[in-house]
Amino acid sequence: MSAASRLRERVDGLGTRATVALGAAALLAVALAGAVAAGAGDVVAAVLGLLFQRSTLSAALRLSVPIAFAALGGIFAEKAGVINIGLEGLLIVSAFGGVYGTHVTGSVWLGLLGGVVAAVLLALLFAVVCIEFRADQIIAGLAIWLIALGLAPFASKVVFGSKNSATVGTVPGLRGLVANSGLPFVATVGGDALDALAGIPFFGALFDASPMVYLMFLAVGASWWTLNRTAFGRRVRASGENPRALDTAGVDVSRVRYAAVLLSGVLAGVGGAALSLSLGQFIGNGPTMVNGKGFIAIVTYLLGNYNPVGALLSTLLFAGLDALQLTLQGQDVLAVPRPLVRTIPYVSVVVVLALFGRTRLPEAAGEHYESGEE
Amino acid sequence: MTEAVRLDSITKRFPGVVANDDVTLSVERGTVHALLGENGAGKTTLMNVLYGLYEPTEGAVYVDGDGLATDADGGIAAAPRRFDSPRDAIDAGVGMIHQHFMLVDPMTVAENITLGNEPRKWGGLAVDRDAAREAVVDLSRRYGFDVDPDARIADVGVGVQQRVEILKALYRGAEVLVLDEPTAVLTPQEVEDLFEVLAELTDAGKTIVFITHKLGEALSAADEVTVLRDGRNVGTVETAGTSREELAELMVGREVVLDTETPPATPGDPALTVDGVTARDDRDVVAVDDVSFAVREGEVFGIAGVDGNGQSELVEAITGLHDPDAGRIELAGTDVTDASRRERARAGMAYVPEDRQERGLVMSFDLTENGVLGSQHDAPFSRGGRLDWDRVDEHARGVIDEYDVRPPDPGADARSLSGGNQQKFIVGREFARDPVCMVASHPTRGVDIGSTEFIHDRLVGLRDEGHAVLLVSSKLDEVRSLSDRLAVMYRGRVVAVVDPEAVTEEQLGLLMAGETPADLPRAGRVVGGDGGTPDADARRTTAVDDVDAEATDD
Repeated sequence: MSAASRLRERVDGLGTRATVALGAAALLAVALAGAVAAGAGDVVAAVLGLLFQRSTLSAALRLSVPIAFAALGGIFAEKAGVINIGLEGLLIVSAFGGVYGTHVTGSVWLGLLGGVVAAVLLALLFAVVCIEFRADQIIAGLAIWLIALGLAPFASKVVFGSKNSATVGTVPGLRGLVANSGLPFVATVGGDALDALAGIPFFGALFDASPMVYLMFLAVGASWWTLNRTAFGRRVRASGENPRALDTAGVDVSRVRYAAVLLSGVLAGVGGAALSLSLGQFIGNGPTMVNGKGFIAIVTYLLGNYNPVGALLSTLLFAGLDALQLTLQGQDVLAVPRPLVRTIPYVSVVVVLALFGRTRLPEAAGEHYESGEE
Repeated sequence: MTEAVRLDSITKRFPGVVANDDVTLSVERGTVHALLGENGAGKTTLMNVLYGLYEPTEGAVYVDGDGLATDADGGIAAAPRRFDSPRDAIDAGVGMIHQHFMLVDPMTVAENITLGNEPRKWGGLAVDRDAAREAVVDLSRRYGFDVDPDARIADVGVGVQQRVEILKALYRGAEVLVLDEPTAVLTPQEVEDLFEVLAELTDAGKTIVFITHKLGEALSAADEVTVLRDGRNVGTVETAGTSREELAELMVGREVVLDTETPPATPGDPALTVDGVTARDDRDVVAVDDVSFAVREGEVFGIAGVDGNGQSELVEAITGLHDPDAGRIELAGTDVTDASRRERARAGMAYVPEDRQERGLVMSFDLTENGVLGSQHDAPFSRGGRLDWDRVDEHARGVIDEYDVRPPDPGADARSLSGGNQQKFIVGREFARDPVCMVASHPTRGVDIGSTEFIHDRLVGLRDEGHAVLLVSSKLDEVRSLSDRLAVMYRGRVVAVVDPEAVTEEQLGLLMAGETPADLPRAGRVVGGDGGTPDADARRTTAVDDVDAEATDD
């Protein structure tokens, strides 16, 4: 029984990942078949060529960062029973907070901290409204998004005189960090090694990325560990599955939920700040530079069935399609209007969700819990 | 004697209700104490006070698992406890096993037991899973439990889940264990196992309070019984010196007629005919295998058997919730095999479902709305596509009055009612249909003794008015005493149709286990309306003292 159940747990986890991979493969196959049927062999070849370009992987990794961090935040909140639909808002304020912090302090790293603080403050508001005042989580989450959507461009206008901020420093690449590490050996040998590795076709992009990309991988591992191996993680899961069980076990459910929502603020904050600081500017026009990444994050963690690793893989799938779409637009390979090309990642996500989206929601997600009530 | 628990003059008021009125309860260390009472008597409220979920309006709580020290005049030397939360109660050595288990389904047994008190390693960076597993194995070995620490809660049965709850309390160092209706969800075998476990625990010096509304259980498992009625303590007796009759009278507050006379049945034409029905369950396994019988007007046809031998699937096939693979179902001579639920209801089939919360009621609807469920398309409630709410409300009030549903408020949400009152309301609603055939599946499950008596009377009354009743129950006494003919199901087949009057309990037990005893008093089979020999025509008695024979409950 025990061995069997453990094995099944493994397979379940694998199932999620396999699902994502399978979804991607199926999509590709359909796209290829369609193209071949249309007698466009050379177009297929061109698209495949683009897909396996080093720059595509590089762009996919870059695009993944804000989505993956927001998704991790969403996992913690929702596993604890609070559906945080305000991730988009958290990304927006932290994108601005990051740039503002960098502008004031002159340091990108302090700027990153500024972004995290901004997101945590907004997450705190969300937590108080949902947990203390029993507001509907969906409505409160939408409010968080709308607040951020108005507040961040407004703040930018006050500080920088325009919805788009002035340009500030950007997060240096790994190569730059190594070169400027101040340690001669690391700077020369490490730099040479990185140069060599970065030369590898396609996968070279893995060794020439922003430190935020590595932080993302680290955060995914740490999140998985926290959820599955620590006492805090167990309480988070229990709080989302059966808060009464947790309460009668003598653990304060509200505290666990506050902690989880604030943690989602921290994670989304890193994601949002990383987004604006990779460009060195906050763009506040229209839907802002975040442009739905927070909502995509929700989709990716649902597709990953609340498993941080699954969420990362579905993020990479989405970001990869997004990167491909960007390149396609630039190269004009397909004889298709650009606005349609731009929808490729979104359409694919809808298809994948419809085909493979077997997500098991935490039992008590979205429900308010009050101790002592029957 | 040393007391482990004393609740001194506890009063608990909720807005508009006094749930406990000056209740004093004293429990001796190392004994099993039963808290007996009908639904809504205030048993659970009292225990929630002990467990820190409620703060008493008045009164004091004293707890010491090692025995309370007394001063010279017999008063308690210790200060009363103040429990602000379950955590305080846990710290004082009180553990509670709730009626609805407080377990996290996707987690393992060990994870659930250690939740909130996880052993840690690496400076708190990780849960020490080996230590947790060992602690669980140690505990289960010490008290003779058999649980796999790595099994997921969702994969184990209710009996095991209950043990996990008990282990959870023991893991937290509980000396006083409170069990809320512990047998409600267990099979008779599991109930016996549980009582053995309780004995084991009291031998080890633990003190146990268990809440129940079943007389027999209180008598067989407890050393002392305290009876609550309408929030008051109406008496504490030692089980050695009491009887079922005394306890029943204390509980209900009047003399309960444990035996009622039932006039003989005068069966007429078949009202419900089941012919060669075969059906599969959710896992696509054949659960009902070529079952045939007929229920005649003016008779109660009982189906007995251990739960899970196809009774649920058979009832679902009859009532139209589940399509049978093969076979024919006729209601008053009309083929209804392919008829929808609505058509069957219109043709005169009433249905008291097995699971009242899942199938019988919409929990977030009030009683007015629940009262019209199933009749909402028909006159007199529906007029030109809209509901006549005045009539619907009147209807619900009628059911509430007639069936003594409490609180008597048609505007109350179904979920706010106790299980017994929910059941009374469903039974009332279904009877009000004036059915040709009543299909009653476990109609008194989780219902207190007074209401059980009432529902039984109504079922017999319905029969006497010339209607057909199909009664499925796992309470052996119930089906035996009410049925005019009794079928026993085993592995999806009807293994015998017997005369419930003449059959012995032993023979029934063998039939339910799939064996065929000798000298079986078979009753005539009636299939397809070709008539049969009427039986059970002697005057006989209907026993109502089967409240503790329940196999399962909600």
